[in-house]
Amino acid sequence: MKGQQISRTAVVWQLLAVALVVLPHLQWLPLWVPVLVVASLGARLMIHRGRWSFPHWSVKTALVVASSGGLILSFNHQAGPETMVALLVVALALKLLEIYHRRDALIVLFVTLFVAATAFLFNESVWMAGYILLVVILTLAALNSIQQASDANRYRDNLKTALHMLLPAIPFMLVLFFLFPRLEPFWSVTIDTATAKTGLSDELSPGDISELSQSSELAFRATFSGEVPPPDQRYWRALVLSHFDGRRWSRPEPAVRHSLRAEKLTPLSPEQPYDVIMEASGRPWLVALDQPVAVEPGLRMSAVRTLHLDAPLERRRQYQASAVTRYRLQPLLTSAERQHYLQLPASGNPQSRALAQRLLAANNGDPQAVIRQLLAQFNREFIYTLAPGRLGSDSVDRFLFDSQQGYCEHFTSATAFVLRSADIPARVVTGYQGGEWNPYERYLQVRQYDAHAWVEVWLDGEGWQRLDPTSAVAPERIRTSAGEFFNANNERFSRGGLELEWLRDMRQRYDAFNYAWQRWVLNYQGQQSDLLKDWLGGSEQWRLILAWLLPTAAVFGGVAWWQLRPRRVRIKDPLERALLRLQQRLTGENCRRQPAESLSMWLQRIAGYWPEQQSQMLRLAWLDDQQRYAAGADQTMRTEMLQLCRQLLRELPGRRIP
Amino acid sequence: MAEAEPVRKHVEQALEALSGVLLGKEKQIRLALTCLLAQGHLLIEDVPGMGKTTLAHALARVLGVADTRIQFTSDMLPADIIGVSVFDANDSRFRFHPGPVFTQLLLADEINRATPKTQSALLEAMEEGQVSVDGERFTLPTPFFVIATQNPSSQFGTFPLPESQLDRFLMRITLGYPAPEVERQLLAGGGTHLQARQLAQCLTPEQLLQAQAACRQVHASSSLIGYVQRLLQHTRDAVGFSYGVSPRGGLALLRCARTWAWLAGRDHVVPEDVQAVLDAVVGHRIRSADDLAGHEGDRLVAQLLAEVDVIGQ
Repeated sequence: MKGQQISRTAVVWQLLAVALVVLPHLQWLPLWVPVLVVASLGARLMIHRGRWSFPHWSVKTALVVASSGGLILSFNHQAGPETMVALLVVALALKLLEIYHRRDALIVLFVTLFVAATAFLFNESVWMAGYILLVVILTLAALNSIQQASDANRYRDNLKTALHMLLPAIPFMLVLFFLFPRLEPFWSVTIDTATAKTGLSDELSPGDISELSQSSELAFRATFSGEVPPPDQRYWRALVLSHFDGRRWSRPEPAVRHSLRAEKLTPLSPEQPYDVIMEASGRPWLVALDQPVAVEPGLRMSAVRTLHLDAPLERRRQYQASAVTRYRLQPLLTSAERQHYLQLPASGNPQSRALAQRLLAANNGDPQAVIRQLLAQFNREFIYTLAPGRLGSDSVDRFLFDSQQGYCEHFTSATAFVLRSADIPARVVTGYQGGEWNPYERYLQVRQYDAHAWVEVWLDGEGWQRLDPTSAVAPERIRTSAGEFFNANNERFSRGGLELEWLRDMRQRYDAFNYAWQRWVLNYQGQQSDLLKDWLGGSEQWRLILAWLLPTAAVFGGVAWWQLRPRRVRIKDPLERALLRLQQRLTGENCRRQPAESLSMWLQRIAGYWPEQQSQMLRLAWLDDQQRYAAGADQTMRTEMLQLCRQLLRELPGRRIP
Repeated sequence: MAEAEPVRKHVEQALEALSGVLLGKEKQIRLALTCLLAQGHLLIEDVPGMGKTTLAHALARVLGVADTRIQFTSDMLPADIIGVSVFDANDSRFRFHPGPVFTQLLLADEINRATPKTQSALLEAMEEGQVSVDGERFTLPTPFFVIATQNPSSQFGTFPLPESQLDRFLMRITLGYPAPEVERQLLAGGGTHLQARQLAQCLTPEQLLQAQAACRQVHASSSLIGYVQRLLQHTRDAVGFSYGVSPRGGLALLRCARTWAWLAGRDHVVPEDVQAVLDAVVGHRIRSADDLAGHEGDRLVAQLLAEVDVIGQ
């Protein structure tokens, strides 16, 4: 095989497959790698046309050295997946320059298939899957064409063969998809894509969330098996921030965090189970509907009832939880806890502190009345806007008494500050609020611009209660989704472009399609473990291995049997079939018919062994001779033969000569 | 078939007469007669003194045809066989003197002693049924048979016949040594040459032609033709065969099988007929992949019989 020339068609197929397989990687490859690929493709084409000759070994050596150096410089000695894929692509490009034999072409095409698979490290969308399928078909066509004679020039035939080869692969693909255990990778593959992820940070300072509101990137999707909560109940908690340094709200120090008791929750309404597919955020925390009660194993719940993972979320992840919308949370606080939730910096924002004292005095120390009055004030005098302007130092004072306009984080921060100043325990919660309902796949889609911040306030006897100051100033923001709200108030929020109804519909359908892909194909893991549990009665390692090995063995065994089975031609003629059965019946040592014996010779030879049937056998011999070889055989002969055959089959007992 | 039945009686008489001359060689005699009735030329291959010439003389006698014998030698020229044009001073023109080939049954003794040039002159006459001398065409008498004998080519001083010329012979048979019993009888009875000359004619030329026509009428069913074809195919496909049997060889096989069946008194061919003539018809047309001398025909035929099923699936 080694010395075989490859056809022109094969060269064209190879170049096409290589060019297309490198295409998806263009967005992150260092510029010189695509240049090298294009140059190699061009050189290969010129060599193929006979214009250029193969490069001298010194040229090739120089290219290898230069490329290795380039890889080291470009990737800074990092041995991540990008480096490895770039190395593969470079190797592919260089190998193109020395395709002399079929063997070399095979190497190029196998590496092409491998590079095609690596595309999924960077993009798992359905579009990429379709594209890679196309590349695989082209590569198969190329593999097919290099096995053909060098004068075969049939592009269409190659393509057809490639498609035909893919067809029998479908059952294997399905078996692999359903049964191949989704093992955790042995190494951690962390891909830093060029665009940094936007999302909630672990602290809240003015401007954080209004920045997020510019991003329409998907945060997560949620489905509900039962009733879907109304928009004003869709508070997705991510973080509880209880430490204020005068400007930023942040989580307490880990030592303090661990000293807090796990908060006790008494549900007052039935549990609502739901499913979340969270996009990769690069942060360890997850979202949970206010308030979570039960979560699946593998997720952690903190003392303040927020969910998080042990490691940052680097891949899209699906998890299940359930929530109660009415509850009593931590009705009693220890003095340490109370002190923690009343913490304020020693100085700063004097006007706000004075406002708190005034409110407290005016309402005779009734916390609920204080809250009501504060919110009423917001409703009367304040403006909800994304562009509040800069606030400078003492930001709470500046907001409450000067600008009086702001976004949810301003209202939240100010509310929590005033309440704490009035000796009412309060904390800031960040997360997402609302979301867009997709009617096609029936899920809630929450984007980054749905990010939100609100306050939780502790009331004696009632425990922690949710308090959203934004609902006082802009109730429609809470009742509708953020997207709709911004559209309706387009000018005020200075977000470009008016969304048309049909465009939104299209977008929802498109998103529903992507969602279905992610849910059913990419995140099959969850269903697989359920499926395996149902089928196998457990998901231990040995069960998985057996469940994998047995069907595989069955499938491959079936294929092997089909290929290696004794090919017995089905005989249609009943007479021939009966005669064959007669021969199969009489297979004793001396009975067996020799290939050179005609049936009549054979019957005459063995007739003597069975004196009782001898006459029938001789008659059958004569008849067979007549109908098989003489002129003018007729149907009556065949009928008589058939009868004789059946009679003999009945009467001749065994294979042995008596 | 009814009108050919008396002819078959005569042919059976001829067979009986021949068996009396060549003791213990019934199979070979029957094959030789089959070959002549199938209008083919016969090659008898054996070491000297096995009765080849006796068989040829005896056949000529019982069939009532004129026979000539040529003893081939290495210095023989084509003209010694075909004839020569000689200038006649009286008539002032060339006159053709026919050579020994102008006969009905030509016994070409030890054909492989002659040079290829001379061999080919004879073989051309065998194939065409005519000879050309000085641009003039002379038709040979009918029927025209050649019974050639040859020593096994491994002996000294022989020019083995190439495959293309072996193919012109319908059959190749070997006589072999007689059985001990027969040999004792032979030794006691003295020479047999005299007996061959004393044989009575059993067939008239017309009867011979009738017999030949009757043989061609024997029915070969599609099952049988399938078996013949599978045999031929096997010589081309199976391992161990250097080359397979040509379609001409296949036609020859079927023709001989028909004749053999007629001799056995059947109006249709059965596989046993094919098997009976297979060695003689096909043995010199196939060659084992690991044998260059061409003497393994019978072993290959045995292989063929063992490997090809009579009943095709």
